[in-house]
Amino acid sequence: MAVVKTTIKKKRRFFKHRKVCRFCMDSSLRIDYKDANLLQHFLTERAKIVPRRITGNCAKHQRELTRAIKRARQMALLPYTTVAPI
Amino acid sequence: MQQRKYEVFFLVDPDLGDSELQSLETRLRDVIGREGGTLVSYNSWGKKKLAYPVKKRTRGHYFLLEFFGGPNVPHELERNLKIDERVLKFITVKLEERERAKPKSIKSPSSKQQEQVESEKSEE
Repeated sequence: MAVVKTTIKKKRRFFKHRKVCRFCMDSSLRIDYKDANLLQHFLTERAKIVPRRITGNCAKHQRELTRAIKRARQMALLPYTTVAPI
Repeated sequence: MQQRKYEVFFLVDPDLGDSELQSLETRLRDVIGREGGTLVSYNSWGKKKLAYPVKKRTRGHYFLLEFFGGPNVPHELERNLKIDERVLKFITVKLEERERAKPKSIKSPSSKQQEQVESEKSEE
């Protein structure tokens, strides 16, 4: 049985450094639907919301973020989609 | 009646004259007064390029309106915003009282620091 445990540990070392939630620790950034350029960072070029596993946000802030992005889109501050440049 | 803090962020036709903007402002202020709300701040966010065309316009003039009041105030405000065709889009948001303290007076509304700074600025 012990052998199994050690192999799991080896696999975990492969894990990249823990992504940190920008809003929790890093700064007193306030998520606001009016602040388009902050929200811009969390959109792909096609204006899709970047998933949590990529941004590393925690669940609470990711929810607040999606709510703000959807409100900003409603007020035409953020696009719903962008046309790919041909 | 439970006094809550609301903010209405709305989008207006960019090429409106000042007189139109003024009349719109006074109308909204009257509504808040009539419904027993208290206005905290009313400022323009200037003209911006829209992310997508709204009613065939690619630019718009944004306004932010913050006030205290019972549920009837935003209800009446939204009714007016809907009728007025100069207003292209609007969104009403109930601002969370982070500290859960009741807003004693307008001078120091116990809302988020950012709002507090803004309302203090608009007080002077």
